[in-house]
Amino acid sequence: MRVPLSWLKEYVEITQSPQELAHTLTMAGLEVETLDYIGADWGDLIITAQITHLEKVPGSDHLSYTRINTGSGEIGVICGAPNIKEGDKVPLALPGARIGDLTIGVARKMGYVSEGMLCSPRELGLGSDHSGIYILDPETPLGVKLADLLSDVVLEFAIKAHRGDLSSIIGIAREVAALTHKPLRLPEPRFNEQGQPAAELVKVTVEDRELCPRYSARVISGVKIGPSPDWMARRLLMAGMRPINLIVDITNYVMLEVGQPLHAFDYDLVREHHIIVRRSRDGEEITTLDGVPRRLRNDMLLITDPQGPTAIAGVMGSAISEVNEGTTRILLESANFKPASIRRTAVALGLRTESSSRFEKGLDPELTIFGANRAAQLMAELAGGQVHPGIVDVYPQPVEARSILFSPAEVEWLTGLKVTSRQVHEALSALEFKVEEVSAAADAAGGEQLLRVTIPTFRGDIEEGADLVEEVLRMIGYDQLPATVPEGPLPEPQGDHWFEREYEIREILIGLGLHEILTYAMTSRQRMLNLLAEVNAQTAQVLLQKPADDGQAGWVIASAQERAGSEDDLASDGRKPFDARSLPAVTIANPLSNELECMRLTLLSGLMETLQENSKRNRAGLRLFEIGRRYLPRGAGELPEERRCAGLALCGPAAISWVPELARPADFYDLKGIVETLLERLHIRRYRFSAAQHPTFHPGRCAVLEVGRPGMDNGERFTPVGFLGEVHPLVQQRYDLPHRAYLCELDLETLYAAVPERLNYAPISRHQELTRDLAVVVDQQVPARAVQEAIERHGGELLRTVALFDVYTGTPIPPGKKSLTYTLLYQARDRTLTDAEANALQERIVAALGEEFGAVLRS
Amino acid sequence: MIEQLDALLAQLDALQERALRELEAINSLAELEDWDVRYLGRHRGELKNFSTLIPKLGKAERPVIGQKINAVKEKLESALEARRQELRDRELREALERERLDVTLPGRALPAGHMHPISRTILEVARIFTRMGFQVVQGPEVETDYYNFQALNIPVDHPARDMQDTFWVVPGEILLRTQTSPMQIRVMQATRPPVRVIVPGKVFRHEAIDASHEAMFHQIEGLLVDERCTMADLKGSLARFAREMFGEDRRVRFRGSYFPFTEPSAEVDIDCILCKGSGCRLCKYSGWLEILGSGMVHPRVLREVGYDPRKYRGYAFGMGVERIAMLKYAIGEIRLFSGNDLRFLRQF
Repeated sequence: MRVPLSWLKEYVEITQSPQELAHTLTMAGLEVETLDYIGADWGDLIITAQITHLEKVPGSDHLSYTRINTGSGEIGVICGAPNIKEGDKVPLALPGARIGDLTIGVARKMGYVSEGMLCSPRELGLGSDHSGIYILDPETPLGVKLADLLSDVVLEFAIKAHRGDLSSIIGIAREVAALTHKPLRLPEPRFNEQGQPAAELVKVTVEDRELCPRYSARVISGVKIGPSPDWMARRLLMAGMRPINLIVDITNYVMLEVGQPLHAFDYDLVREHHIIVRRSRDGEEITTLDGVPRRLRNDMLLITDPQGPTAIAGVMGSAISEVNEGTTRILLESANFKPASIRRTAVALGLRTESSSRFEKGLDPELTIFGANRAAQLMAELAGGQVHPGIVDVYPQPVEARSILFSPAEVEWLTGLKVTSRQVHEALSALEFKVEEVSAAADAAGGEQLLRVTIPTFRGDIEEGADLVEEVLRMIGYDQLPATVPEGPLPEPQGDHWFEREYEIREILIGLGLHEILTYAMTSRQRMLNLLAEVNAQTAQVLLQKPADDGQAGWVIASAQERAGSEDDLASDGRKPFDARSLPAVTIANPLSNELECMRLTLLSGLMETLQENSKRNRAGLRLFEIGRRYLPRGAGELPEERRCAGLALCGPAAISWVPELARPADFYDLKGIVETLLERLHIRRYRFSAAQHPTFHPGRCAVLEVGRPGMDNGERFTPVGFLGEVHPLVQQRYDLPHRAYLCELDLETLYAAVPERLNYAPISRHQELTRDLAVVVDQQVPARAVQEAIERHGGELLRTVALFDVYTGTPIPPGKKSLTYTLLYQARDRTLTDAEANALQERIVAALGEEFGAVLRS
Repeated sequence: MIEQLDALLAQLDALQERALRELEAINSLAELEDWDVRYLGRHRGELKNFSTLIPKLGKAERPVIGQKINAVKEKLESALEARRQELRDRELREALERERLDVTLPGRALPAGHMHPISRTILEVARIFTRMGFQVVQGPEVETDYYNFQALNIPVDHPARDMQDTFWVVPGEILLRTQTSPMQIRVMQATRPPVRVIVPGKVFRHEAIDASHEAMFHQIEGLLVDERCTMADLKGSLARFAREMFGEDRRVRFRGSYFPFTEPSAEVDIDCILCKGSGCRLCKYSGWLEILGSGMVHPRVLREVGYDPRKYRGYAFGMGVERIAMLKYAIGEIRLFSGNDLRFLRQF
């Protein structure tokens, strides 16, 4: 809402500077977004002038050459605007004047010398109109600095959604008056009524009284259509509207002034002179004033005549009964419409207008008469109109001013600000609330002072005590609020520790040299399918899988109802091209782009894309992680399952370094080491990594991590947490990375289920430890974990730790074999172990390894 | 006999002189050991040879020679020890010199990671409020229209919905939450007062992305409900937050505003951290920076969750994490947060 200060001053005396006024209003909740100083940059070289002569420039289709009277002489100016004629008074920018970034100079064009520039309203900062030169009032003196005549300050407000009453100059003036303790001066529309009564000239039928609580109409005849007077045109321009013709401008002017949207019909084009307000019927169409044909839905409110729609109520009129050059009689509509209906219609049509934005915030039905009368007055005064007696006013249920019983003590109760009853009284009265003291009723607690506050009908936003507290606070000033510390009791601890847990993971991974990234939760199906070496209905299932909820082993597929692809796809050999659209995901109905069309099912695509982005400018390797959610779809109409996850990515060396170990590109064991350290830091001791297949990963370099949970019968169940591995070369290709990439995605909910609730201290044995080394040769294919587990199993309680410290292949180890060397530490809790005991255990282990894996001791 | 004695004494002097001279020339611990054996050796050492002569001497001469031998021995032993020490010192010095490192070479550091500035800012805000007795909770990012709008006094077709352009999953029903405020409702439905929570999390707005607008960003919601809380407490709490977050001398300004789920509502500004209120480009020459929106929980919201608004009062606030981080770290471009450029991330 743009409010020219000069206009505002018509209704309230303003003694503050524009900045002070803006501050006062801003503090009271009417935020002034900008102060627009019109004319501040015009300087001395933009003056008023008159076109004395105009000729077309030969060879140009739009340029004219004009002679301009500057008040002190005559100059020539080339101009391209279509709207000028001899005799027009215009703003002239002389050489040296600045218009925006442009400095006016003397130009030679097509054989003419142009010694200045005529300006459009937009060039002068007077509004957005750039369709022609700004034509000044014919009474304007010549050769005067434009700034002396027309400079102004425009305050631009962001009107909040609940205050439709503030979408007008008078609405703002009312607040200014209340805040600065000045009287509000409302215009009093006075005009003569004559001729046939309006009631005989027009019939109004409101079929839908719910959506149209009031419809008031006046008839004005004998109007002359022409341009608006300069003062009105300029005010419209400064308020951000474009002058059109006097009648339309008056309706817009009154809307801006009093806040009541009006519509002027050409009375003679309203068929049968009958206005019918009704909902649209399915399939009806209307071409609105902007020339766009619009198909209407059956719940939209229309203004019609017996033959069809003439306007979309409260939104926009149509050409059918539009005011035109030949119009002489006006049917003036001043109506009130239900906010939600107007809003729904405007949103559905994508057509937001000055009118609809006012109606949707809620307007006072009492305002229609004032608006109609004000417009009638201006049409009589400016357009020579004759106002017919009376108003056709369909207003079946007049609004009644509501009243609230309000205790001034509520102000302190809610805000901590001590106020007297008198202050409350004054604050509310200033805002035109009617305040009466009610003698303390017997049932009022403690016989406190109560006020009966009658709410003006234009304040539909005020419903209860808290609303009045805010009004009082606005008037007394938010800056008067004291600042205290909450002293109430503290709540019981809540059970959710996820915030702390996620930060625990963050700190651990950062300590391990990984950088945290934060990517969009929105992605596209295609971006996620890029993670699969081979895309088909079966491989796509990995995007939907999650650990079984009840701690069961294995994975389950989210969204049982909507499996990826059809049964056909599943049965096929997977060579058929996979339709990305068949991947179930939380789909955004109105995405910003195809790249952001659904919610992610995995963190890995964001990690890969971030690797790709950064690898272009990073010679060192990349180590990244993200903590966020996967959004697994559930049934239709249900919220998705949001699973907390951590994704890890390594690519290339840890650093550009002279230290070979750091400069070495990351490999599988770097990633696994990070995951193992994470497990250690979380005190998760029972876990296992097993070789696994996953369509994102190298088939020989992928593991699944499972964590152990105590199960029935002292047994242990292993629940999957996530995969880790080297990215499959076919996937790697798509991201154009300079090194092999390693990815891991961990389901944090399963991971944390394995974190011990408490740590148990085991006393440290003081008895001697015996260490033995053990080197065995086994087949290459034997997993190290199996050997380690066998050693642990056969070593029993006395075997404290087993550590692998060498893995070797090559001479003298036979081909196809590998040597594994462990150091074993034997210790008893309660006695000193003898060499003989340790040796016996060692032999037992060797024998067992021989039996289980065909392992032989390395000589 | 006397001549013989004198001759022996002279020989011992000569031996001492020779041994000391040789000792001077020795340059390694190995040679030193040879010298030790040669002169002081228990069996064949030259000095030992003199000792074997003693029994052949007269009774009067024996002590003289014995004392002389001992004197020479002590002399040589102490010279040996001194020389040995010298050589050891030198050898150590040389060894240390050989092991000299270029200490200016970069260390063999384990590269450290960095926390994303958004996580870091959330943590910092959370710490400030947990010190004031708030607990951190989180909620679903895909929400229902009921929690995101209706329960917060934003009915269908309310113009306040314009303030928050929405990504819809099921239009009118399921959406990406546009604010963290739905957790106000979820928390109050799940517990009875007193309530003190803060809710950090992702939010989504259907907006064109530019230097100051993101389609996904982060908010932190705060909610306190009990039987005695007032708007003055809100001001006090936020003033304390502003001081801890932006510096001890920060001033806080409350001004009127409108949010459908608070009444009265207030916009909260701090004096500009750059110009301290005198006016600059950052604060658009107003001297103040808007940091968050707040207010007293609307009675309709309290009634919606079954709290009696005549008994319970509460305050709520919501801040944009990106905005706080941009102010705190002087970042001029919101897209950096989701850009994940390591040159940016490594600075935090």
